[in-house]
Amino acid sequence: MHIFPILEIGGLEFDLSSILGILVSCIICFVLARLAVRNLSVDKPSKLQNFMEWALEFVHNTVAGTMPIKHARKYIALGATIIFFIFVSNLLGLPFGVVFDAHEELKLIGYTIISEGTLAEHGGHAHIAFWKSPTADLSVTAGLALIVFVLIHYLGIKNNTKHYFKHYIEPFPIFLPLNLMKVVSKPLTLALRLYANIFAGEVLIATILMLGWIGIPMLAVWQGFSIFVGAIQAFLFTVLTMVYIAESTVHEEH
Amino acid sequence: MEFVWTSTVIAIIAFALLYWLLEKYAFGPLFGVMEKRRELVQEQIASAENSREEAARHLEEQKQALQEARKEAYAIIEQAKSTSVKQADDIIATAKSEAGRLKEEAVKDIETEKNKAVLSLRSEVSGLSVKIASKIIEKQVDEKEQKQLVDQYLKEVGGKP
Repeated sequence: MHIFPILEIGGLEFDLSSILGILVSCIICFVLARLAVRNLSVDKPSKLQNFMEWALEFVHNTVAGTMPIKHARKYIALGATIIFFIFVSNLLGLPFGVVFDAHEELKLIGYTIISEGTLAEHGGHAHIAFWKSPTADLSVTAGLALIVFVLIHYLGIKNNTKHYFKHYIEPFPIFLPLNLMKVVSKPLTLALRLYANIFAGEVLIATILMLGWIGIPMLAVWQGFSIFVGAIQAFLFTVLTMVYIAESTVHEEH
Repeated sequence: MEFVWTSTVIAIIAFALLYWLLEKYAFGPLFGVMEKRRELVQEQIASAENSREEAARHLEEQKQALQEARKEAYAIIEQAKSTSVKQADDIIATAKSEAGRLKEEAVKDIETEKNKAVLSLRSEVSGLSVKIASKIIEKQVDEKEQKQLVDQYLKEVGGKP
């Protein structure tokens, strides 16, 4: 299995492939979005603008499905950012990989990327992958889930404080442990689901690559399916985020 | 596979940055445009509704005007009819009165003529009677008496100057 280049600066470890992936995803998202809104027009939208509007409408519909329309506006941008970023990130690892064979200690601008110790662990020989989906890294998906986690609890406390604290002991105080578990499980499942799906896809791609020429049709099929999975996961993450936000911000009187 | 927490932090920062950038440079303007389009569509719907109402109102007005014109025409025809009837009556009345007048005049003329005829007849009769009388007198007055009459006349004539 590939290992990923870890850069150590002042005792802090940086996963270069994840950072690269995040940066590239962000850049692609931003450039695409900028291209889409380059020539905004009210009555004659371009194709790309139409697509972006469709995407926003799509997010809007998922948001509006879970929360009243007057609250929705400011969360649409969040949902759209999430869905764009995760979708691009999911697709990033699909088309190609950048893999180095390392047989000795590797240094980049004076910093150790692969230490002797790591090499020794892998039998003095390691494949180093510089390119992957950032979402195939649990630490990145954990970051995204953490954003959602912080956001929903912040919104819950800020928007309906009373209901927020009351819902921990609902319907009965004995449900408190269950509710606390739910608090933990929400972001955990978000992070793990996304990570596991994309990571599994990449693992299978790497595995199929080992087959050589015979694997090409399978690879094509699996890559197609991975695009589908990537879209589904991006959609799922967005919808769940919106549902959580709606849960924490809106409290129907009943 | 190990959990690298710096990636988490970087992911959070990058995502926040991306959100901010997209919100500011992409979604904000796009939302503005979508809102503007929504307004445009609403405005157009409203104006279409307005013009539809106006058209309906115009149609109603036209109908009313047509109705009025028809009524007016009917009234004019009625008036013309009644006027003509009245005129005919007038003409007949005038003709009748004229005829009466003419008849009366004729009667009067006849009366006058009759009177005149009676008058002339009377004078003629008197003349005739005088002639007849004179004829009778001529036979009866003798020579002597005639002479006396002439003398008397002459005397009268001679005595005058």
